[in-house]
Amino acid sequence: MVGMSVLRTAAAFAARLNPLKRTCQSSNLLSRTVARSEQVVVRHGSHGKRMFIIKPTDFYDRRFLYLLRNYILYTGIPMAALVTFINVFVGEAELAETPEGYEPEHWEYYKHPITRWIARTFYDSPVKDYEKMMALIQIETEKAEMRQQQLEVRRHMREKGDGPWFQIKTLDKNLIDNSPKSSPDN
Amino acid sequence: MPEDHDKDVYPQPPRQTPVVDKQTTLPNPALILSKLFYYSVDVPVTKFRGIIEGIQGDKKSHYYHQKFRRVPELTECQEGDYLCYYEAEMQWRRDYKVDQEIVKVIQERLRACQQREGPSYRQNCNTELKQFDQVSKAFQLRYGDLGAYASGRKCLMKQKERMMAETQKA
Repeated sequence: MVGMSVLRTAAAFAARLNPLKRTCQSSNLLSRTVARSEQVVVRHGSHGKRMFIIKPTDFYDRRFLYLLRNYILYTGIPMAALVTFINVFVGEAELAETPEGYEPEHWEYYKHPITRWIARTFYDSPVKDYEKMMALIQIETEKAEMRQQQLEVRRHMREKGDGPWFQIKTLDKNLIDNSPKSSPDN
Repeated sequence: MPEDHDKDVYPQPPRQTPVVDKQTTLPNPALILSKLFYYSVDVPVTKFRGIIEGIQGDKKSHYYHQKFRRVPELTECQEGDYLCYYEAEMQWRRDYKVDQEIVKVIQERLRACQQREGPSYRQNCNTELKQFDQVSKAFQLRYGDLGAYASGRKCLMKQKERMMAETQKA
C-alpha cells in the first residue's frame, strides 16, 4: 500500500519532469499540485466530443421491439390496405324493403361486403343449419322411441313367453325314449 | 361513416327541437362551437364521403331484414315432440331478442326527451316516462330473473308461477 503510493508519486514526478512534455516551467515543478491550464473554448465542427457512454445493454429490448413492429406490420399493412380498398371501392349495402315475391339469398341479410362474402363462401345458410339441427333431433327422437319400444317388447316377451325372444331351446321330444315308462313296475 | 338507413322504412317520431328565442346581444358560445365543428369536421368529412360515393358508382347492393314465420308455441306442442320443442324454442329466442331491442328503443326515447327538456324533464316527458315504466316492468315480469341459460320452458314455468301467485292472491 505504501509502496503503491510511493510508486505513484514517483510516476507523477517523472511525468512532470519529462522533457518531452514540459508544458510550463515554473516554480511549481516540485510541488504536488498541477498547474491549472486555461479553459480555451474550442469550436468543433461536429456534435461535440465523442463520448463512450457506459449503460446497460438495450440490444435485446430494441431487437424485441423491431421484431414486434415488423411482424405486426407484415400482415397488418396488407390487411389494412385490403379493407380500405373494399370500403372505398365496393362499399356497404343499403337497407331496402324485400321486394314482393323475392326470397333474398342468405348472404343478402348482411351489410358489410366482407361479411357477405364470408357468408356466401364459407357458411351454410341459417335455414340449412336449422334444418340440419332438426334432422339430428328427428334421428335422436326415432332412436329414443325405438329403444323404448325394444324395452317394452322385452318385458312383454319375458312375461308372456310367446314371442321369439327368451326362448330356451330344449331337446326335440321325438328323441326322448319313452320305453322305460311303458312298463310301470320296472 | 356509412349512410344511415332509409328513414322511410322505419319512421321515427317528429322532432321536437324548440324554436330559438334569443333575447341578448351576447354571442352564443354553443352556436360558435357548433359552427366551428361544422366547418372544421363536418364539411370535410361530407366532401370525402361524396368523393367515395362518386368512386363507388351506382351499382349498390342491398340488404334486407329477415322475416320469420310464426310456428306453434311451447304450449301448443305435443309432449315428446322434440321437433316442435326446438322450433318453439328458436321462436322464443328470437322474440326475446326483439323484446330487448324494444326496451332499448324506449330507453333511447326517454334519454332523448330528457336531453331535450333539460331540468324540467320530470314534468314534460310524461308519456315517455309512463311508456318506459310500463315496458320495463313488463320485461322484468316476463324475462326478469331467467338468467343466462334462459329458455322457453323456464319462461313458461315463470309464467305458471305468476298465474299461481295471482290465483292464490284472489
